Amino acid sequence: MTMNTKVPAIRRQLIQMVLLTSGAVLLLTVTCLFAYDFLTFRQTSQRQLDTLGRAIAANSTAALAFNNSDDAQTVLAAFEVDPHITHAALYRLDGVRFAVYPSNAAAGEFPAQLKADGTGFRFGRSDLVGILPVTEGQRRMGTLFVQSDLGAIYDRMRLYAGIVALVVCASGLLAYFLSRRLQQRISGPILALAEMANAISTRHDYSVRASNVGAFELDQLTDAFNHMLGTIQSSEARLHVQLGHLNLLQHITHAIGDSQDLASIAQVEGVGEQRSMPLQYACIARYDATVGTLTVSTVGAASQAHSERLALQPGTAIVLDDSVIAACVKGQLIHEPDTRRVALPLLQRLAAHDLGSLVIAPLVAERTLFGVLIAARGEVGAFTSADCEFLKQLSEHVALAARQAELNSALQLAYDDLRRSQQTTMQQERLRALGQIASGIAHDINNAISPVSLYTESLLEREPNLSERARNYLTTIQRAIGDVAGTVARMREFYRQREPQLSLSRVDLNVTVQQALQLTQARWSDMPQQKGIMIEVRTDLAQVPTEVMVAEGEMRDALTNLIFNAVDAMPEGGTLTIRTRRVEPSSADEPARIYIEIGDTGIGMDEATQRRCLEPFFTTKGERGSGLGLAMVYGMITRHSAELQLDSTPGRGSTFRLIFNAAGGLTVEPAFATPAIEPQPLRILLVDDDPLLIASLQEVLLGDGHDVTAANGGQAGIDAFVAASGTAQPFAIVVTDLGMPYVDGRRVAAAVKAACATTPVILLTGWGQRLVSEGDIPPHVDRVLNKPPRLVDLRAALNDLAVTAPLKRAQPGRSR
Amino acid sequence: MPKFVRHAGLLFALLLATAAGATAPDEYQVEAVFLLHFTQFVEWPAQAFGDAHTPFVIGVLGRDPFGSALDDAVRGETVNGHPLVVKRFAGAADVAPCQILFIDRSAVSDANRVIDSVSHNGTLTVSDVAVPGPQDVIIRFLNEDRRIRLRINVDFARTAGLTISSKLLRPAQVIGTIPAQ
Repeated sequence: MTMNTKVPAIRRQLIQMVLLTSGAVLLLTVTCLFAYDFLTFRQTSQRQLDTLGRAIAANSTAALAFNNSDDAQTVLAAFEVDPHITHAALYRLDGVRFAVYPSNAAAGEFPAQLKADGTGFRFGRSDLVGILPVTEGQRRMGTLFVQSDLGAIYDRMRLYAGIVALVVCASGLLAYFLSRRLQQRISGPILALAEMANAISTRHDYSVRASNVGAFELDQLTDAFNHMLGTIQSSEARLHVQLGHLNLLQHITHAIGDSQDLASIAQVEGVGEQRSMPLQYACIARYDATVGTLTVSTVGAASQAHSERLALQPGTAIVLDDSVIAACVKGQLIHEPDTRRVALPLLQRLAAHDLGSLVIAPLVAERTLFGVLIAARGEVGAFTSADCEFLKQLSEHVALAARQAELNSALQLAYDDLRRSQQTTMQQERLRALGQIASGIAHDINNAISPVSLYTESLLEREPNLSERARNYLTTIQRAIGDVAGTVARMREFYRQREPQLSLSRVDLNVTVQQALQLTQARWSDMPQQKGIMIEVRTDLAQVPTEVMVAEGEMRDALTNLIFNAVDAMPEGGTLTIRTRRVEPSSADEPARIYIEIGDTGIGMDEATQRRCLEPFFTTKGERGSGLGLAMVYGMITRHSAELQLDSTPGRGSTFRLIFNAAGGLTVEPAFATPAIEPQPLRILLVDDDPLLIASLQEVLLGDGHDVTAANGGQAGIDAFVAASGTAQPFAIVVTDLGMPYVDGRRVAAAVKAACATTPVILLTGWGQRLVSEGDIPPHVDRVLNKPPRLVDLRAALNDLAVTAPLKRAQPGRSR
Repeated sequence: MPKFVRHAGLLFALLLATAAGATAPDEYQVEAVFLLHFTQFVEWPAQAFGDAHTPFVIGVLGRDPFGSALDDAVRGETVNGHPLVVKRFAGAADVAPCQILFIDRSAVSDANRVIDSVSHNGTLTVSDVAVPGPQDVIIRFLNEDRRIRLRINVDFARTAGLTISSKLLRPAQVIGTIPAQ
């Protein structure tokens, strides 16, 4: 049997099984039949031969009894009916052969004699021999010999073999065709399943299903297969969803790593969410714990249309129930499968726009709720527990990301702060160095102009015969010296170190305004003019008292900064207006208010800049600005419990308004209408290392009638004082310079006080103002006077201190 | 010793004699055995015997041609339980009831009468010569070319009340009418 090699193995095997089974059954049956027939046929043959032999024997008795061999021959001829009987013979009782069959048979083919005993049948290799007694009644007449070939058996066997072969072939063919037809009922569905499984494994399409065929077990198999497919399909779907979620989380993680700011994280989150988890509306709302409100901060990219219809756009406040907020604070996710059931305004709004289900996931960082993630879908109950779980995870991720972003920005701020502080410190260091240089210069200038000042003053005072012209010249010289001294003093003031404590003093703001304008003249006049820009300065100062209690230096700095800003705001030129006015209070309990306005016609500020301009390090000037100017102003205003107002219009200009409480009490003019001091002649020790100063000062003091002893240098001064203190004429007062080589004014003062504790010491210094403001008046010094010393101040000091030491008055006429 | 062995021995002796060619088996020896064999192929009526112990009698009328052959043949033999005896009858007057009566040629003159007297009482009459007269023996031995053949008158047998086996009839010449079965 040829088998098509393309026939599937299962079909081939089923056919083979059927054929083998039927063949084996057939073979067994045929073999049994064969064996049975073979055995029964031998018996049948024997019985047939016996029957035939007995019949012949019975008929041959008379022939034997009456010795008629012809008749016996005739009787034996009856064996012709059976062609397989080859030989037969009758033997008489004495064993002699009496008649044979066939009649022409050769004598050798029979036993020569046959004794009466030994009857029966015997099968030979190819024949059956029967020996039968011939009896009549009870009398034995002779013996019959019969021989049959077994051809009948073999004929039958051959016939049987032929039939068996035919039957086997026919039944084999029948079985083949039947099994070929019938096996399809089994193999068909299995092959269909196998084919489908194959298709599934190549195409990965788990949505196909096998159809039932009506056979119970195969249907069970098909059902199980379909069920398995369903399970795989749903598992695969779940896997896809999980993969999408993982992708989204990964996106967010990347966003955290890349952008580090909440807005872009939220954007990424929104985009990814729409792709891997379809939402009709998604937004992130920030929570302000202080007022307990939620404000939409970011809306998912695909939710824009919805957000407009819902009126839930960035900046919109969301009203939520306190219990919802409380649950969110605890980190609980809120899932409302049907928004129509709940009467909350937000849910009603969602329900009105066909958003049936809602999830609110809290954004919690370090146990603090800082926002919520709101997600909504159209159908009622559209969020599965897996969706909720994912949204919770997502919100935790976003919260973490946001927290990290905040930390990052805080870090960035701190870093910027640190950098600016460092720059400020470096700048201050530079200023400090510059200040020290300026102090040295100021000292030298003051020293240098001191004789000029003293002589000029002395001349104007004591020379009544001066010509008008000389007096005019000297007056001019004196004013010039005063200007130089003022400039040096302001320079020193400008560079001096900031005072740690606020020391308020009564300051006339009109004066401070003038000073500030003078100080900044270079910025608003000279530098713009070089660039061809005109800045017009207008001052509108109140004619009423404008005195306030402020730290004068800070006040001046604040005004200076405001003037700088105004100038910077007018790169194309414009008008700078400074106005002061006094507003009387409505009730007697309140103090009057002093307003200072600094206005420009420059570029102005937009709302955001106005909001932030007072923050430290906020600047619109780029590298040129430190961002500290207005912050310092604001700090000064705060320290003085004053107010700062700002009016600004972009393109029109800005006006800063400072409002102070007016200083209480009457305005007292410092009535130093110096009474003509009657100088008491004193014995004075003058210590300095500058011969010009010694000479000029000695001249002036001698002119006043004092007894002046000059000592060149600190050590010489100490020696002179010690030498004189033991005598009858000690020094009544010591005037010493501060800055001297080897032994400076401090040590001179110390030595003087050591020798005589009651002797006053006046210290002359180019740093005088600075010493005072720093509270750095050295011990053992009774009075500090600035260089160049004004005669008025010097005389007043001598007069004051001389009161304390009246006994050491110089003897008249002892002056040199 | 079984009887057939003795018969066999007898026949064997005959054959030996024949084979030796000295003396062919005597005709009468063969006929003696034939007389004995008739007891197997002929059925006698029941009234032919008085009781079970009544002997089966083979009578020889006239001179006994058999010598001792007949005595040898029947010695110890029985027919259906009846012991076989041989009786010799010198003349017709001597004839006693018997089942087989061999009529020797020496007594053939009286044979007609004897046959007539026994023709109805179940006696199988046998002879080897023709019997003159209306009556004849039922079975007659015919010697043809040294072979003994039988001629059987079935009408006489019927008259005698004997039933002759068809087996016996087949090798014999049959006279009379065989009744349809």
